[in-house]
This record gives sequence, C-alpha cells and structure tokens, in this order.
Amino acid sequence: MSNATSSLDTRKRKPTNIFKSEDPHKAEKPKRKKDKERRKATENGIKALNPNWGYAFVAPFFVMFLIFGLAPVIYSIVIAFYNWDPLGDEQQFSGLMNFTDLIVDDQFWTALRNTFSIWFFSTIPQMIMAIGLASILRNPRLKGATFWRTILLVPNITSVLAIAIVFGQLFGRDFGLVNLALTYLGMPAHIDWIAEPLPSHIAIATMITWRWLGYNSLIFLASMLAIPSYLYESAELDGASKWQQFRYVTLPQLRNTITFVLIVGTIGGLQVFAEPLTLGGNMSGGDSRQFSTLTLFLYEQAFVNNRWGYAAAIGIFITIIVIIISAINFAITRRISSEEND
Amino acid sequence: MNRKNVIRSAMALLTVAGLTMAGITPAHAVTKTQVTIWSYGNVIEPWGETEYERLHPDIDLKIKKNSMDAHHQSLITAFKANTTPDIAAIEVSYSGFFRSYPKYFTNLNGLVNESDYLDWRWNQGVGNDGKVIGIPTDVGGLQVAYRKDLFKAHGLPTDRAAVGALWPTWQKFIDTGKLYVSKLTPAEKTSCKVKKVCFGFIDNAGTMYPAILNQGAKKYYETNGTLIYKTNANVKTAFTTTATALNSGISTRINQFTSDWNAGMMKGVFATVLAPAWMLDYIKQQAASTSGKWDVADLPGGGGNLGGSQLTVPTAAKHPQEAKDFIKWYLSPAIQLEIFKRYGLFPSASSLYNNTALTGYKDKFFSNAPIGQIYVTGARQLRPIFEGKNQRAIDNYFGQALAKVAVGKMTAAAAWSDAIAQIDKNIKN
Repeated sequence: MSNATSSLDTRKRKPTNIFKSEDPHKAEKPKRKKDKERRKATENGIKALNPNWGYAFVAPFFVMFLIFGLAPVIYSIVIAFYNWDPLGDEQQFSGLMNFTDLIVDDQFWTALRNTFSIWFFSTIPQMIMAIGLASILRNPRLKGATFWRTILLVPNITSVLAIAIVFGQLFGRDFGLVNLALTYLGMPAHIDWIAEPLPSHIAIATMITWRWLGYNSLIFLASMLAIPSYLYESAELDGASKWQQFRYVTLPQLRNTITFVLIVGTIGGLQVFAEPLTLGGNMSGGDSRQFSTLTLFLYEQAFVNNRWGYAAAIGIFITIIVIIISAINFAITRRISSEEND
Repeated sequence: MNRKNVIRSAMALLTVAGLTMAGITPAHAVTKTQVTIWSYGNVIEPWGETEYERLHPDIDLKIKKNSMDAHHQSLITAFKANTTPDIAAIEVSYSGFFRSYPKYFTNLNGLVNESDYLDWRWNQGVGNDGKVIGIPTDVGGLQVAYRKDLFKAHGLPTDRAAVGALWPTWQKFIDTGKLYVSKLTPAEKTSCKVKKVCFGFIDNAGTMYPAILNQGAKKYYETNGTLIYKTNANVKTAFTTTATALNSGISTRINQFTSDWNAGMMKGVFATVLAPAWMLDYIKQQAASTSGKWDVADLPGGGGNLGGSQLTVPTAAKHPQEAKDFIKWYLSPAIQLEIFKRYGLFPSASSLYNNTALTGYKDKFFSNAPIGQIYVTGARQLRPIFEGKNQRAIDNYFGQALAKVAVGKMTAAAAWSDAIAQIDKNIKN
C-alpha cells in the first residue's frame, strides 16, 4: 500500500507528469511532508486526491475511443470526399459526388426499406414473445426456474454463422423443414423463403428473434421481479383477474424496460449484417437485392466494387439516420418519464 | 438463490462455456516455424498439408480458410495494414484486381520452371509491371457431368460420346434439355407447381453464362484495361443464350452450393451439372449414394474454364523463404498430379498433359469415364482470356440480372439494360 501512496504523492507535486516513472530516491526526501499530506488525505477522504487523477482513470476508455472510434470516423469522413482506391497510392478528390450519387441511388433506398422491414419483423413480435416468456418464468410455481433462465441464453452465445447456416437449411425452398411443416398444415404451395422479399425478411427476422428472444426475456424478467408484490396483492384484493393484473400492474411498470429494449433493438436492427449475408451467400442481399440491408450495401460498395469513398458516404448517411432515430427515441422516453411524474 | 441453485446454474454455465471452447485446438510446439496460409475452398488440400509437414518437421502450416469473396476482401485490408499471411491464394476472377498492385507481392520470378505451366494460367499471376506475383494452382477445366440413369429414363443416349454429340453448340444443349423436360413424368411436372420442387435438365442454367463467356477471346476488359462490357459481342451472346436457356424451362431454380442443391443432386432433381474439375470431388462427397450413375461428357462449344487460383507471397510475409519453399513443392508437377489423383483438382502444369498417369485416370463414381483425358482435351482447347480489375463485381451484376430472368421478374432485354445501368453506375475502372 505504501507504494501506492508514495506514487500518489509524487504525482501530486508534478501533476503534469503523471505517467512518468518515479525515482525512489526523490520520493524519500520529503518524508514528513508526505505523512502530513497522507493524514490530510485521510481526513478529507476522496476530496483530498488530486483531481487530475480522474483523467488517468477515464484515460483507457478515451485512448481506445480515440484509436478505434474517433480516428476511423474522421478518416471515413475524409475518404467520403474522394474517389478512393483501396490499395492505390494516389487518391482522386471528387468533392460531393459520392453524396449526390447516393441520394439518387435506388439500391440505397431499397437497402433502407429492407432494413426497416426486417427491424419491424424482428423487434415487435420478439418483444411481445419476450414479455410472455418472462411472465411464465416469473411464475413461482414453475419447476426448475434457474435451468430455464440459463438455457434461454444459449441461442445468444451461439455463433451467428452457425445460426444462419442452420436456418438457411430450415428455410430451404425445396427440401426445407419449414416448408415441409407448412405443407402438412395445409399450405398449398411452397414458399420461396429466399427469392421473395417479404418471406426473406421474415426468415431473417426469425433468426434474429431466435437469437435475442432469451436475452430480452431475462431483461423483462429482471424488471418484473422488481415490481413490488403488494401491488399484486392489492390488485387481487380488488378482484383483478390474472390478465387484468398483467394489463394494469405489470405492463405499466415495464414501460422503461420496453423503451430500453426498443432502443437496443433499433441499434441492432440498423446493423443487421451476418444473417442476410449468410442467407444469400453474397454481398448483394439476394439476387434482386430483396434483403440487402444498409450495412450490407456499405460493405458491398467497399469490398466488392472497391468504392471506398462511396461506402464512406453511405456510412455517413447511416450515422445521420441513427441520429434521427435516437432523437425520436429520446423524445418518446422523455414523454414516458414525464407521464410517470404526473 | 439457494446453494443448490447456484451449483446448478454454475454447471449450466460450464457446459455452455465448454461447448464454445470445444473448437479451440491446443497450442503447437514452439520450435516450429509457423507458415501462415490464407485460402478458400479446397486450394490447399489436406493431404498436401500433412505430407509437407511430415517432410519438413520444422514447419507448421497454419491454414486459415474463408469463403471465396470474404477471403479476397480481407486480403485487401490485410495489405493495407501490413498484416498479411506468408502465403495468400488469389482466384482468377480477382487476379485482374491484384495484378494492378504488384508492389504488395514478392517477386517469384525463377522460383519454378515457367515452361512447366499452361502459359495463359501463368500469365494470370504476372503483375501489370511484368513481375511474377503468383504461381498457378489448378485449372478449372469445365465439362458436363450428367446422370446416365436419368438420361436413359428420359429417352436420351447414355454413352458419353453420343451424349457429347448431342450438343456441339449451346443451342443444341438447350434443345436437348427441352427434349428431356418434355419426357418428365406428370408427377414431376406438377411437383413444380405444387411443391415448387422443379425437376429439370440442368441444375441452374445461370451457370452457362460464365462457361460461354470464358470460351470467347475477351470478357469485360481490353488487355490495356479499357472497359468493353457494353460493346463486346461475346458478353451479349453469353447473356442472351443463358437467358434463352433460363426461359426454356430446362433449368431447376436451385442455386449451386445451397442445401437444396446438395439434396437435389442426390434425389435426381436435375440430370446435368456444368462441372469444373474441382467440383467432381464435391459431387462425390455430397451425393455419395449416386455412385456409378454419373458420367462426364464434353462441354458444348469446346473447352471451358471456371476457377483456379495462384499462390502468392505478400511483401509483408514474415517467413517469405519458407513460403516460397512450400509453393515450389506444392505446385510442382509431381505434387499437382498427386493432388489430381486424390481430389480431382486439374493440374495447371501442362508438362503433365502427356503423362499417362493423368490422361489414363478414371473414376468409378463417374462410370469409369476417362476423366483425365476428357479434361486434358478441354484444357488444350482453351484460349487465354484477360481478367480485368473489377471482373468479379461485373460478373455479380450480370449474374443478378440473369437471376431476375430466372424467376420471371424481367425479360432478357430488360435484364440486360438493367445490368448495364448498374455496372455503369458502380464500376468506374
């Protein structure tokens, strides 16, 4: 412990040099002063610490963010103004051309539409199912509750690629199990789960739902368990049925969690990549681009067409879309919390 | 949570952790030199790896496989970041791209005897500045693999010479297909409407496009790099012939390398596959139960080629000498012959083309067809063809347009102008 204290003191004398390795001989000299300061530090608690220390604690995040977050962002903003050759030495400045091309690019708008469609089919049904699952798991009479709760997370840690391969087989047009099951249920004709736009969105949404359902159920479960039981007791005394208890006690209490799950789902939804990629087998998201998503389109332009500048422009557009959606989310959340305060 | 529950969930977690970690292999001995190889598909066959490691106990070959496109895409970023492997495989459709950047590759001039290899395959590994950046692996010589039993059942000859004589041209191939589908049983015909399992003559007529295209003298680029995809009559012919085939009802709607394809191969949903030499091994593995029912006939319109790669040593390689040693061994005529016998990868070493071990090679799975002889004859008919910088991307756009014809979303003419518009917009050089 004394080592830690001494380094603390050295740094206090020279706050500008906090990363410099210290010299043990120097630290020995002002021993009395050090003791005094230590006492003072104990008296005033954490307040006595040099405030510059805080920067050292948050530094790891900011250094990482600078290298892996900010630097690539700035770099991609720069290359968005170029006709960028990925391996070349000389780059050609193209001004706003990438952006003006993008606005009139129907493939971009297709990708945007697909992304939102897949988001809708994966988020909304999933949320309803997750709340349902959570209420089942909350039931105290359920046997082996811990086992079920643990097993719910298994899909979440399965590799996306493995999921996509298995689901790709399930959704096979000619010999897939899903079509086989539907035929037994009386479906007259096989559905082409890959070539048709809407079925392909549903197939992809199913993969996403399968993977994230358990995770979201646990989040709902946690917030359900936090609902005080007296609310249910008084509801029961008032003669509320199970459904009424769910509708008027559980659901309102889950409002914040629903918003949270919705926001996380939206962020994930705008990044859907591996599922459509594996389902289609290439970057175009199906032969008619029927399930090309925004990130897939970005990747295709960068790595298939070698248009890095254009891909960077797409990235900037995605950022703008995310900002807009976050703003909407923020507005909704604020409205919900202000409703609660009334 | 009581203690019992804690133990239970801990065990569940451990099981889960165990499942995820099962794929990790134990660390190798530290004294060995690790030569890293990035490849895709079956470029480096397992026998080649184990045999080389047996002969060179001090070398540990670390092979990282990826899907074909993803492999080349990660190579681009690796070049940019100097994190390249010691050996990188480059497929011919990407050769035009990487040949434009020879500075990222070690010069392999003089490593092997150039005259041992097919000249046009050799040239696919020569950089635009004349530097040798890659040594050719196999040639994807293309022929028609067909099901004898299905041919017989649908009133066609089964003998490979007679079958080859059915289709000297692609138009005759389509006509033969029409004859075949006209003899489908009523059950097979209604299956397409009801179950959407469409029985057909060929697995996917879209595969005709690259086959016809590669039989021409030029594709999308002049040898100086000028784009000619709009004006080259060869491209238009390949496109319209393929579209005609797609509209003629001879094709199932199955895409290659999907689970439906594997299942269809076994169940006899289609009777022919345009098969490059490297695909024969895949057919054998996927449809093992159909052994002896297959045979191989000549491709319409002369020999064809699909695929093949070069092995390169990037300048950022950590062990360039060991990498060169491996390439020299693995791509030597003797080892190429061995790989052909074991896996059917057709050698690019033309010095073997008179070797009876190659020309006399037969396979029971394919009814003892003289596969070696058939593919040698095909490879000899091939002409060199220039692969341009964005060859692969342009291929994709034409492929997507043809797929729209296949599902009846567009007419051939509309799909053609759609593809041209897309390429105009997306391909700048």
